[in-house]
Amino acid sequence: MSNKKDETASFVLRFTQKIFQSEAGEPQVQWRGNIRHVQGGEEQRFSEFEEVVQFIQGKLADLTIQAMGDKSPDEQKGILAKSFDLWKKMASTAPKVVLDTIKDPKRQVAQFQDQIQDQLNQFKVDFGDKIDIDSWMASSKSNNKELMKMMEKMSKEIQSLNKKVDKLSKKLKKD
Amino acid sequence: MIKHYQDRLVEINSKRENAALHVQTLGRFEVWREGNAIHAKEWGRDTTLQLFQFLVTARHRRGLHKEQIIDRVWEDLDQKTGQQKFKVSLHGANKAIEPNRPSRTEARFIIRQGLTYQLNLNEIWIDVDALEQYIAIGNQALPNDKETAIEAYREAINLFHGVYLPERLYEDWSSEERERIQVLVLGAIITLGELLIKDNPMESIRLAKQALQIDNAWEDAYRIQMSAYFQKGNRPQAIKTYQQCEQVLEKEFGIEPLPETKALLKTIKGQ
Repeated sequence: MSNKKDETASFVLRFTQKIFQSEAGEPQVQWRGNIRHVQGGEEQRFSEFEEVVQFIQGKLADLTIQAMGDKSPDEQKGILAKSFDLWKKMASTAPKVVLDTIKDPKRQVAQFQDQIQDQLNQFKVDFGDKIDIDSWMASSKSNNKELMKMMEKMSKEIQSLNKKVDKLSKKLKKD
Repeated sequence: MIKHYQDRLVEINSKRENAALHVQTLGRFEVWREGNAIHAKEWGRDTTLQLFQFLVTARHRRGLHKEQIIDRVWEDLDQKTGQQKFKVSLHGANKAIEPNRPSRTEARFIIRQGLTYQLNLNEIWIDVDALEQYIAIGNQALPNDKETAIEAYREAINLFHGVYLPERLYEDWSSEERERIQVLVLGAIITLGELLIKDNPMESIRLAKQALQIDNAWEDAYRIQMSAYFQKGNRPQAIKTYQQCEQVLEKEFGIEPLPETKALLKTIKGQ
């Protein structure tokens, strides 16, 4: 029987967020990171989440292979296939949570707050007033403002473009 | 306000001088009892060290239940064997750090309350704790008192001799603290490096190199190094630093430097 250490794979995942403006002046967000397999010590950098999934998959496959040294080749094949299936299921949902958080951190935080409140409700404990996310995500406020300004500017430009297109179509119809 | 930050620095320094037990976790693990290093053989078994190091790592959790400790440190053991190992290891740890304590008296450093255990942080100086406090003072003092902020960051960085508990690199329970401290230190090095570019560019270069030793793809460190070389009038070295940055980012992530770094290169080239 394998011991708990042989059955465990832990990962330390670090994300570093870079917000910048492209040369065209558009706001950009970039994620860089590294992932470390604790028990083996191997480390890999990534800029795409798929690389993280592959790294974890590789380590979990190693774990499965190590754990079934005493099994017959057929059994090994079956177990490995099941292990991959499990990981596929997990990988198709877990990165979504992370990606959703990256895309819309406020919504995710609000969901977490609701979940905590739901749990506390079971014990009839009041979580108190929800913290206004805008008040503690101060670092992103300026970015949000900048984004809002750019979106306003863009929508005005689209409106004026629409007007021009309307004029041109009317003119074409007349001709 | 300025005096307040200075007072806090004095407070941390005085704890370092007066604590009965000193613990170094960064770069290597060592404990000093009343100024004298505790030798490896005094710890006896590795499990004794493991238990003490775990208590250092979990120092901010208010009292851990014996079973919780066993489950985290010796996860493979059944409860009975775990309890025995805990008892022996706790006895060993107490003997190593308080060899002259009379029997049947309360332990001074590892406090027991019912079935929970924790370190008595009033009596123990721990490098990572001091490092964190210095950085907090640095961050708080920065807007109004640059000199104290610089002093605090320096003190913090001087404590960093390497990764947290290097001999426990593959232990699950130490990973979170190792990552947390590394990111904290990188932030402090970068902030101090930026603060010193104008007055002491050579020190900024040294700090940037220290950050790159910890993480060779930390782009902020390349920018500090470029600015500092430029400040010193060493344009070729500043450009060479950019090229290194470009190569490392391409190799490690397959990405280009940020526009901010590219813009700095343009300034350096005088474009």
